[in-house]
Amino acid sequence: MATVTATNVTKIYGEDTVALNDVSFEIPDGEFVVLLGPSGAGKSTLLRILNGLTQPTEGTLEIGGEEVTGTRSDIAMVFQMHYLVESMSAYRNALTGALNRTETVDSVLTHYDEADKELALDALDTVGLLEEADQRAGSMSGGQQQRVGIARALTQNPSLLLADEPVASLDPRAAQEVMQYLKDAATERDLTSIVSLHQVNIAREFGERFIGLREGEVVFDGGKEDLTMDVVDDIYYGDDTTDQGVEQIAGES
Amino acid sequence: MASSRIQQVKDRIERQQRRRRILSIVGVIAVIAATGLGMRLVGFTVAELVRQFPVWLSFVAEFLNPDFVDFTLSSKERGIAGLDGLWYSLSHPGTIIESAGATESSGSVLVAAAVTTVVVGFTGTVLGFPLALLLGVLGSERVTPFPFNFIFRGTMSTIRAVPSLVWILIYIPLFGISPKSAIFAIATDTIGNLGRLFTDELEEINDGPIEAISSTGANRPQTVIFGMLSQVSSSFIAWTMYVLEINTRIAISLGVVGAGGLGQYISLKIQFGTPEAYSQAAAGLLMVVLIVISVELMSSRIRARLRPGESQGSSVFDTIKGLFDADKWVGRSD
Repeated sequence: MATVTATNVTKIYGEDTVALNDVSFEIPDGEFVVLLGPSGAGKSTLLRILNGLTQPTEGTLEIGGEEVTGTRSDIAMVFQMHYLVESMSAYRNALTGALNRTETVDSVLTHYDEADKELALDALDTVGLLEEADQRAGSMSGGQQQRVGIARALTQNPSLLLADEPVASLDPRAAQEVMQYLKDAATERDLTSIVSLHQVNIAREFGERFIGLREGEVVFDGGKEDLTMDVVDDIYYGDDTTDQGVEQIAGES
Repeated sequence: MASSRIQQVKDRIERQQRRRRILSIVGVIAVIAATGLGMRLVGFTVAELVRQFPVWLSFVAEFLNPDFVDFTLSSKERGIAGLDGLWYSLSHPGTIIESAGATESSGSVLVAAAVTTVVVGFTGTVLGFPLALLLGVLGSERVTPFPFNFIFRGTMSTIRAVPSLVWILIYIPLFGISPKSAIFAIATDTIGNLGRLFTDELEEINDGPIEAISSTGANRPQTVIFGMLSQVSSSFIAWTMYVLEINTRIAISLGVVGAGGLGQYISLKIQFGTPEAYSQAAAGLLMVVLIVISVELMSSRIRARLRPGESQGSSVFDTIKGLFDADKWVGRSD
């Protein structure tokens, strides 16, 4: 159960590389928020700050009324490249989400609490991989691996679920599937979720609220009906003419 | 609480885990039993260890007071013993340079011995490298088709099967027991070891670039050079550096059988058997540690620079400056 409150969050890397500039927003409990913005807009930095992997230069970030000062077990993250332990089974990967509740020796011997084991299998069930639980993660398809990544995050029993471009390296169909599972998991467990996405169509399909970032600043914050093509153009291309916008995109890829 | 489907899968996984766990416990017990049996076979008893321990301790205690009288030619001549021998030589750098060139004293003066050891390790590695490269590349299944690559793999395995301590015995009729034999022993050893590392490295490369190069119509050697060797060139250099480290150590152990260098110095002193000789041997051991660590740091710095991403865009000046950066030497970098 987590409300997320960002107050004037600014992040400056090195001397003068401004990644985030005075970002403020409030996300009520249980909302599914999509972060939009071109590469380098500060989406990843924002997620890293939310996750406690980096500290903001100025401003504060509160989750569930508690300021984020380091990584917390009640904040779970799904990574773009899934980062699974490929030599372990899907089940043991999902169980790594319970590491913060388990002693080191016990975890090495796969000696987890019964409740955690059931939680991990339940999470795998949520992402539709219960029958594949004992398969090696490395032998799974990209979409399945990403779903195991979601299961690991769910096993953490988080109150906030973060995802950094979870479907960027998947084909359209697998991306659709993974997003559906992610959305279902969030709805089912009433999780506050913040997901950064590149594909505008997928974002429109699954998002409830959208925050658009450009050059470290919030340029849009609103619901689906407000997210018109013009707004999307504005997020990605700014005030430039369309021509230059396309060139920018081409230059980045 | 859990649904029956989840319970089923859980039971299935737990059954598998139990079976695997029992197997691994049996495996560990078997290994421990075999080790115990082996110790008994060679007649090891704890009683012997306890009985002999004080004797051994007093022997080792002799080494706590290193005597650097043989550090340079001139400290040896003047008989400046103990750590003073080291301070004297360090404050008169001329004596170090003089001793470094005194190859005929490579078994009796520390600086000369260290130079001999490093030279033997280095030249042995360099002489072995070309053949290691040739056999290593030809031994890869991707370069030479299946049955034929085993000619080269077999050659390398045979060379590796014979330790360098035996190779030096084989070269004695050529050069006698000398640093020259040691160099050739190490070079031969390098062909087997380094070649094997090269072959293994080549097995792990990606097919993509090979196909891309051969699709341009390049001939076979060109495909090997641009498609395969280009993928492994920096790891080949890294492996060579690693083998150089090992060869420096081998050069020391070859010295123990009489081929000059620090190994010979230490073994002569220990055979001499007096407390003073032990102290001098201790100084030799310290030199060994110093040399081995220097070579290791040098090679790990070079290997770190070869890793992609770390050295991009830095100028020659930065490179030289980096050599004096203590943090980088110990591998601490941000």
